Amino acid sequence: MINYILRRLLILPFILFGVTILIFSMIMMLGPYQRLSTYIEDPSQLKGGDVDQLITKYGLDDPWYEQYGRWVSGVLQGDLGWSESAGQPVTEAIASRFPATFELAIFAVIPVVMGGIWLGVLSAVHHNDKLDHTIRIFSTIGWSFPTFVFGLLVLMVFYGILGWFPPGRLDNWALTVVMSDGFTEYTGMHVLDGILNGNFDIVVNSFRHLIGPIFTLAIVWWSFILRITRSSMLETLSKDYIRTARAKGVSENVVINKHARRNALIPVVTVAGPMVLGLLGGVVITETVFGYRGLGQYAAQAAAQLDYSGILGVAMYFSFLLILINLLVDVSYAVIDPRIRLE
Amino acid sequence: MNFLSKEPLVQVKGLKTHFFTEEGVVKAVDGVDFEINPGETLGVVGESGCGKSVTSLSIMGLVESPPGKIVEGEINFQGTDLTKLSQKEMRKIRGNDISMIFQEPMTSLNPVYTIGNQISEAIMLHKKVNKEEAKRQSIEMLEKVGIPLPEQRVNEYPHQLSGGMRQRVMIAMSLSCDPQLLIADEPTTALDVTIQAQILELMNDLKESYGMAIMMITHDLGVIAEVSDRVAVMYAGKVVEYTDVETLFKDPEHPYTWGLMNSIPKLDQTVERLEAIPGSVPSPLNFPSGCKYNNRCPLATDKCREIEPELETISEGHQVRCWHYKELERLKNERAETAKIK
Repeated sequence: MINYILRRLLILPFILFGVTILIFSMIMMLGPYQRLSTYIEDPSQLKGGDVDQLITKYGLDDPWYEQYGRWVSGVLQGDLGWSESAGQPVTEAIASRFPATFELAIFAVIPVVMGGIWLGVLSAVHHNDKLDHTIRIFSTIGWSFPTFVFGLLVLMVFYGILGWFPPGRLDNWALTVVMSDGFTEYTGMHVLDGILNGNFDIVVNSFRHLIGPIFTLAIVWWSFILRITRSSMLETLSKDYIRTARAKGVSENVVINKHARRNALIPVVTVAGPMVLGLLGGVVITETVFGYRGLGQYAAQAAAQLDYSGILGVAMYFSFLLILINLLVDVSYAVIDPRIRLE
Repeated sequence: MNFLSKEPLVQVKGLKTHFFTEEGVVKAVDGVDFEINPGETLGVVGESGCGKSVTSLSIMGLVESPPGKIVEGEINFQGTDLTKLSQKEMRKIRGNDISMIFQEPMTSLNPVYTIGNQISEAIMLHKKVNKEEAKRQSIEMLEKVGIPLPEQRVNEYPHQLSGGMRQRVMIAMSLSCDPQLLIADEPTTALDVTIQAQILELMNDLKESYGMAIMMITHDLGVIAEVSDRVAVMYAGKVVEYTDVETLFKDPEHPYTWGLMNSIPKLDQTVERLEAIPGSVPSPLNFPSGCKYNNRCPLATDKCREIEPELETISEGHQVRCWHYKELERLKNERAETAKIK
């Protein structure tokens, strides 16, 4: 098992190398003038200065491998360039927004995975019952709504009409509290910080702001996981070893929760990787719709303002995250299925 | 253990298990009667789709419901009618008094749990023992079914064993709670011929030492000859001939049994080609009226096409479901003549 994880970790640098090549080739598709902006710390440098001179200075006409070497060494030192859309270096922009997105993602993934699997199993066990039909109708609705439409609907109903779940990350009064000296930002995640500071008004307030985006993100992927779990569970329940378990005198509860579910989860884990990719895409849209200041909103904003350093930085960051998540997926695969672990 | 015991262990009377599907009612088992005495092996033989597996699943109470349902009949096991028991009561019997092994050893074990875990589960369900004791008993069982290095194998997963070994594990699991009856649904069909013989031998040995009865379901007459005391031949959801194994092979009285016998090679006869029974098993959705074998039977008459015969006792312990079984003698003689001429 440890060997398996180690082997996977050894491959990691090679994958990252591939990712940097890919991202860099995207940079190289831009002309030297456009690329200049990714190397400029302060836009005022461009005013009056000789642009061609700057191009030579930053070596934008050099052969691609020299440029790649410089870019990679910059990336390795944590220097991703200056972000015009954020008004700060890309690294700082990402660091300041990451906790917000992390908070959102964690709170969204828990209901997606737990709820999706639970409902999927329930749906399969009550195959073709009323309960199964109801669950399937809701999953079809959830799955067919684009995130931005659903997000706007949630915003309209729960904020516009009911006024329950406002957009943004915090109300103004709460923001003042968070910014004040009496409040220590340990993690940048407001729910956790609120608990650590013993200020439960902040916890409640940030939850009220989180529910809309969580709901929007969860509904699509809920239906996704539910469908996969349901069909996989149905298939597993017709397997010979389920009949063997029943022939042993095992109760139906144990048949479902011990013998069937673990096997049924193998394909679910397989799709968890692509699901995370989709979730990250969903984060960009959801954060934009809800005005939630996180990485997704930053990505959208950078793209809209042609902030190349910002786009590339976020792309690098997301790919790194994806690789880590895929590693996690593969490891959980091996935990569930001994046939993979013992290969 | 007493072979001549008056009280049968299992008594199936007029069992009808039907499946209610969208295409119609599938009468998979349509009036099956037989008995199994303690310590006896009953062979159940027939082509695919004749209802032999559904019969065994009915005894286990494992017919998928819906669509399946036991619509009529009794299954008496040690004085209780199993068809009347609740699922909860059935669970106490399954794996304990009656256990079952299946055709596909490759897929019959759960791939994500160790062999030890799966055998211990059965033991802990039916005996009041702790985990350690259950594991110790599992190792003991693995040893009994001839698995080498049982202490090591007990911690392995099914995919690390061969098909024959997995079937041995299944046997170990099914015998772990000393059942009175072991139902074996084509236990050797998926195995290599050499392994088949080993498994059958193992089952015969264990039957002796455990004194249990076996219901051996198979389509292989060779297997029947090897292990059975009595045989029930099934066709289209019904028993068509029921007798002891010697009589069945020496003197089959139902034209279907006779057809089956002619379709397998015999060492003492030279024939140009083996005879197949013409046609195929009718669809259970669309059985012919009268005797269900009438469309394939060389003796079929109008009477056969109209009225279904009953299972008739023609001599002590020999029952046949046929209007014209006496005429089969003529066909047998004709065939013997042609064999001589050649």
